[in-house]
Amino acid sequence: MSAPTGIRYQGELHLLQKEIMAKYFAEATAIAQGNGRKAAHLLIAGNPVELLRAFDVLPIYPEVNVLQLAVRKGSLPFIQKAEELGYATDNCAYVKADIGLFHAGYKTPFATIPKPDILVCNYVGCNVYLNWFEHLAELTGAPAMNIDIPFIRTADGEPTADDVIYVVKQLEELIVLLENVTGRSLDWSAFTKIVERSARTGELWAEIKAMTQSRPAPYDAYFDSVTMMAPLYTLRGTEEGLRFFEVAHREMAERVKAGTGPLPEERFRIVIEGPPPWPRLRVFRDMFTRWGAVAVASTYSTVGGLWEFGFRHDPAHPLESIARHMLSYNVCNRTFLQRYEQMERYVDEWHADAVVIHSVKSCRLFSAGQGDMREHFVRDRDVPTLLIESDLEDPRYFSEAQLRNRIDAFFEALEQRRITAGRGAPVPA
Amino acid sequence: MRYAAGVDVGSTQTKAVIVDEDQRIIARSLTDTGAYLVRAADRAFQSALDQAGLRRDEIGQVIGTGYGRFKVEFGDTQVTEIGCHAKGAWALIPATRTVIDIGGQDTKAIKVSDRGEVLDFAMNDKCAAGSGRFLTNSAEAVGLEVSEMGARSMDARQPVRLSTVCTIFVESDILSYLAQGKRVEDILAGVHSAIAARTVALVRRVGSESEITMTGGVSRNMGIVAALTEKLAMPVNVSPDSHFTGALGAAIFAMERVLAGPGAFAPEVLA
Repeated sequence: MSAPTGIRYQGELHLLQKEIMAKYFAEATAIAQGNGRKAAHLLIAGNPVELLRAFDVLPIYPEVNVLQLAVRKGSLPFIQKAEELGYATDNCAYVKADIGLFHAGYKTPFATIPKPDILVCNYVGCNVYLNWFEHLAELTGAPAMNIDIPFIRTADGEPTADDVIYVVKQLEELIVLLENVTGRSLDWSAFTKIVERSARTGELWAEIKAMTQSRPAPYDAYFDSVTMMAPLYTLRGTEEGLRFFEVAHREMAERVKAGTGPLPEERFRIVIEGPPPWPRLRVFRDMFTRWGAVAVASTYSTVGGLWEFGFRHDPAHPLESIARHMLSYNVCNRTFLQRYEQMERYVDEWHADAVVIHSVKSCRLFSAGQGDMREHFVRDRDVPTLLIESDLEDPRYFSEAQLRNRIDAFFEALEQRRITAGRGAPVPA
Repeated sequence: MRYAAGVDVGSTQTKAVIVDEDQRIIARSLTDTGAYLVRAADRAFQSALDQAGLRRDEIGQVIGTGYGRFKVEFGDTQVTEIGCHAKGAWALIPATRTVIDIGGQDTKAIKVSDRGEVLDFAMNDKCAAGSGRFLTNSAEAVGLEVSEMGARSMDARQPVRLSTVCTIFVESDILSYLAQGKRVEDILAGVHSAIAARTVALVRRVGSESEITMTGGVSRNMGIVAALTEKLAMPVNVSPDSHFTGALGAAIFAMERVLAGPGAFAPEVLA
């Protein structure tokens, strides 16, 4: 079976997502064209988007913009522009694409990105991102705030009471800054309503994520999760965002009931760690599809927030719950041992056969330690684990033959062992 | 008697092996891959057929392997070279539990079961530093053929220490040693030591279980085998047929299919 799979992965939900994301980008473009509304640039990991929405400030995620460029095969010229300016080849390609995009007037095929009226750098462990937002502050002249999020240091992964107070105090400073930028004061009851919708969205999302415990999984928790992740970050806390997740929940529940999965046959259930290679997403997905491999869980879908293990925003304590979200409930700010634990739960509770780690060449911060992770799963947990490498944004790091070779060898070996173990996988017609 | 064949289209060389029902090698051939993979595969296969005195229609199954496995157009299916090197090494030396293969672009360490199955494998990351190409470039830098490197390096007295295993930068490293008047033998030993150190790190990732067998063309380089043996502090097996291990593994997979009869394997089983 060497030919491409030819499978159409899109469903109803993809269409709705396209529609609401187009609307979101239209709003962004309208701001860029000077309609007077304010825009904030912020980062995905543990984003405090509820506060921005409370001030009617449109959240703009540079990471979302540049991954859109990569998916449309347009990231390289922007990366090269940044390299011309002196950014190193091994610098984070998201950063380079965004800096290149700034110098190209923020014009993309899908939107004109508004310049930030405020920069909210939520620092959760990536010091490169810290520099990124400092550069943006210098380039755009926008006021910038760095919310310093202490790394989790406790054994149980919970933030200390002092950690929470420390972050809440900074969020209060952010409120003052937002009041200055927008010229309005915080409407507390509107804010708590937003947090309430976030809580409800988190609830739905957590339930959607639990649905992939079914056999077959109703959707691919890596490749299809990304469809749901964009609205989760850009529209969380809004009516529209909540509606999207209600539709998603309904659609996925129906799929579970009908026993429908993303592929004609689910032959391997995998857990994927690491961001996807956006420039070659389709080709990459097909490499798994041809083996009938479906992701039942992924750590990447918890970068913006980790809801599946019980965290919810709390309208009764909105700032404290946002602080907890930023501190403990996103994969980036968790320790490596917690990342292991998260993945172990996925393997056990989501009934996975194997783990695949996609390491990102231009992100050493997130990728460092993945060799140890592979060894942990292979040696300590006896879970077959594959480590592969390319990049999330830079197409030059995607070596198709090399990746295909490793992925084929991995599933070949799994298949062979299944046959030897006498539980031969069913032969497809 | 029934026959099956394996064709291993590597980035540098293409190998073909024909086996009989008892998994005995009855023909083997080798050709440079060059730019035309389809032709290289065809050439290697035809040469093996000529050697065996067989016609194409007498071969029950053909399996392609290696980077160019999808270009073995006359093949029935494909298996990656990781699976084939494991199978082939196990067939040549049944006690094999760890396989080392230094290919043109990939270095791999494979953990093998007592039935020749892949239990785990580790390969170099995206960068091909320290792979077979590193040797070719080093040979060119000192003006030797790759095949001469092993024997020459055995006469080293004071091996140099290379600062890199980068396939590109090694050339300037070597040039600077030549400029300092270092002996070619000492430089070659330095090259082999660097590549062995890199390989041993990969072997440690899957666990260096006895016995260790080295496969692929680079195993003919006695300097590398010696450096690996020293660094692993364990003997490293090399079969006289080690160069053909991948093709042999493919041929054995093909013979298993011949013996199992039609329909026994799903086409996807060994995609």
